[in-house]
Amino acid sequence: MTALDSVPTTQRPMGVAPQGPLDISDDDLVSCVACGLCLPHCPTYRVTGLETSSPRGRIAAMRAVQFGGAPIDTVFERYMEECIQCRGCEAACPSQVPYGRLIEGARQALHERRSHDRRRRRRLAEWLGYTVILPRHRLVIAATWLLGLGQRLRLVPRRLVPRGVALPLVSLTELRHPLQPTAPTAPSGASSGGPSTGNPTNAFDAVLFTGCVMDAWQRGTHRSAITVMESTGAMVGLPGPGGDCCGALHVHAGRTAEARRLAERVIASMPGDAPIVVDSAGCGAALKDYGHLLGSPEARAFSERVHDFAEWLAPRVDRLAVRDTHERVVVADPCHLRHVQRQTTPVRSILAASHRTVDTDDDGLCCGAGGAYNALQPDLALAARERKIAALQRAAGGAALTDFRVVSANPGCLMHLMAAGVRAVHPADLLAEALDPEHPRWPRDAIRPEPSRHPGSTP
Amino acid sequence: MDATVPDHRADRSFASPSDAELTRLVADLGVALGPDRARSDPLELALYARDAGVASGRAAAVCFPRTTAEVAAAVQTARRHGRPFLGRGSGTGLAGGATPVDDPVVIVTTQMNRVLEVDVDERFAWVEPGVLNLDLTRAVAHLGLHYAPDPSSQQACSIGGNVATNAGGPHCLLYGTTQAHVLAAEVVLPDGTVTVLGGLSPDQPGYDLRGVFVGSEGTMGIATRIAVRLMPDPPALRTLLLDFTDVDAAAATVSGIIADGLVPAALEMMDADITRMVEDFVGAGYPRDAAAVLLVEVDGLTHGVDDAIEIIRRVGTANGARTVRVAADATERNLLWKGRKSAFGAIARIAPNYYLHDTVVPRTRLVEVLRGVYAIADEQRIKVLNVFHAGDGNLHPLLVFDGREPGVMERVHAAGDAIIELSLSVGGVLSGEHGIGLEKRAYMRSQFSPDDLHVQAGMRDAFDPDGFSNPHKVLPAGSRCGDVQSLPEGVWV
Repeated sequence: MTALDSVPTTQRPMGVAPQGPLDISDDDLVSCVACGLCLPHCPTYRVTGLETSSPRGRIAAMRAVQFGGAPIDTVFERYMEECIQCRGCEAACPSQVPYGRLIEGARQALHERRSHDRRRRRRLAEWLGYTVILPRHRLVIAATWLLGLGQRLRLVPRRLVPRGVALPLVSLTELRHPLQPTAPTAPSGASSGGPSTGNPTNAFDAVLFTGCVMDAWQRGTHRSAITVMESTGAMVGLPGPGGDCCGALHVHAGRTAEARRLAERVIASMPGDAPIVVDSAGCGAALKDYGHLLGSPEARAFSERVHDFAEWLAPRVDRLAVRDTHERVVVADPCHLRHVQRQTTPVRSILAASHRTVDTDDDGLCCGAGGAYNALQPDLALAARERKIAALQRAAGGAALTDFRVVSANPGCLMHLMAAGVRAVHPADLLAEALDPEHPRWPRDAIRPEPSRHPGSTP
Repeated sequence: MDATVPDHRADRSFASPSDAELTRLVADLGVALGPDRARSDPLELALYARDAGVASGRAAAVCFPRTTAEVAAAVQTARRHGRPFLGRGSGTGLAGGATPVDDPVVIVTTQMNRVLEVDVDERFAWVEPGVLNLDLTRAVAHLGLHYAPDPSSQQACSIGGNVATNAGGPHCLLYGTTQAHVLAAEVVLPDGTVTVLGGLSPDQPGYDLRGVFVGSEGTMGIATRIAVRLMPDPPALRTLLLDFTDVDAAAATVSGIIADGLVPAALEMMDADITRMVEDFVGAGYPRDAAAVLLVEVDGLTHGVDDAIEIIRRVGTANGARTVRVAADATERNLLWKGRKSAFGAIARIAPNYYLHDTVVPRTRLVEVLRGVYAIADEQRIKVLNVFHAGDGNLHPLLVFDGREPGVMERVHAAGDAIIELSLSVGGVLSGEHGIGLEKRAYMRSQFSPDDLHVQAGMRDAFDPDGFSNPHKVLPAGSRCGDVQSLPEGVWV
């Protein structure tokens, strides 16, 4: 037996295959024909040129483990962890290989296995982050207060902040003022919501999911979203207790059991049948996937209610009174909006009246943010961002980064891009800026299933 | 080896390296390229065991040079250690051309991906081999130029790989294949020296070694810089979709259009199953109930294009086309092409494996050959899908199957043999554009006499007298049988 004899096969054997160590469906795993059409759509392959950091290569590695007897070792772990999970490959795959399911299955196997052998300090940090803080919104807010104060006193030690991450300057003013659901003026006589946490049954026309980190760090964007939604005449509710964290980061890290518990809490926090609006693309994709994650009819019904902010707004956009700013903005579609939710038109149509949107020429290649990815894989995240920034500048006709703004509907992408000096902004904030303050908001009782044009606008 | 096989050194085999030899090889490659750019982890090697074809092999090491000098150093290092070598681009080839046989050093050119120079006036560009085909077109699009050969995998395949396989594509009907668009190539020859074949001016004196190199499938060295011709974007461009309830009628239309004196820029055909399958993926408005569709593109000056559309409409209607639709705008056109170019990748919607043939037949024989292909597949109980470059008679019968089904490979190979026999019997050829690689080499004897093969082997030996460069590819060795057992040891289909 030489070293080369230990090269595993990536082919599935003929006939009945033995069940391998990964909890992945055989049919899913053989559905890749290795054509390679995913390669240019993979941000890590684009910056490395390595098969090991490509979707096709990762699937081949999973096959080697599942069918070829390859060990689940640190090499396999590295290949799996280098994936940003942007799912650009999935959108590009003509065979519709369910890559998201495959990589999540592989990550889950890695998570279960390494609870034994990972270094204690990293395990403690992960437990603190995933299990203690993220699911408890008060802890997220408290930690953010500490961060905000520390930032002002210049007390945040650099070595505590992973390379590749630049934390935003926390707004203490925002932190002091929690979001409020729409006050019950209700000309139609609808019943009111609760004073601070919503009673999101049919009292509201929509519920804004606020999430964990975004509500702490970018609450101003939530406020903009509520303002814009209210301007269309909608009464906007907020999640009740338990809607703290969508669990997207847990799914990505393979912590599926925790993700399921969080999903159940989130579903319970927003009863009724009002549409659920999400202004974070990553959270929206996670909420839309609850039906698959939990597999229950309730979860599927819940996922049906979920809309991205732009997706919800697009059919109602004519009710908004905005001024034309003539500003050119480059659209950086968040991957979980473009590739996972497959929503690209709405953000362009909601900005059409107020801004000139410009597209990049990179087929929506990921910027490298990837939730917690930029902290865990800084080298690849920064290389992907460099490539993205070049595409943004090409789209802006070669303009300097300070001379144009970039619109992106995901908090992680916004922070990752801003850290490189990109003037990145959420579409809700852009629209809130452009709202015409003189114009009255659309009356609530005029809301009909078929949205009509704004009074005062010409057809 | 049977007596009729010409004696050429390309048949040379290399024994597997010992662990000690392997360690020294990787260490030396690391010295030449940098330690992180020469690797031999078993799992990583497994990912370089195949391309987009069916055959699997095994590499001794993979390395990632960034310059011509580093490619040369990798070649020299491999040779010094008595190991063959193999150049690899994106690994999207369909004939096993990049499948490593005899434990070679795989030299991957993906990190050599710069467009080095664009000359707008002379309309050429120097590019590195790892530049992706579509990236090149996008890089020069703002100049009103494009790179004409457009394989269906153009978004993913590299120019280096295109040169190696003399890649085609829908638009090669009018504009010619890769060989018509490569002016010159800087090449690391199999002995590790560097030379430039061809030149920027037309009609180079002496033998056209550039023409020999293009399509040599890595058996004559590795291209490290390529001068490609850039074409001006046509002033007018229209795409038509013709829809038929009968495959024969579609095939007759193909021949009819060209007999009418019109050579469209592209003339593609898809049959019923593949049309439904790609429509599921792209939603371009392909008719789900058609027996076959033709995708035709015409370009040139506006008046000429209008006339061409009329010819196509007339010939199509006369042959029984149900509808003739002209794409209204670029979005509609791009969606139609996206469907056509996604066809191979979409196969897994029907079955998890496919085996693809690439024969070319005279256009006038398309009707009978297509009928024959369906009959052969029926006989072997294998599903066959046809999506192909109809204009140049370049068939791509896709035999789709589930490899988990016992005995299925034998039927796939039997069907393949019969399709090739049929194609050659009407005066066709073995491969239009994918190359021979590993998977089709056994069929070379069906097309070429021992004398033909002997001459080809002599040409190869002139470039690679010691047989180090991509061994076991293109030229056949051993028996005539194309099945699993005849492949070299270590190769797994």
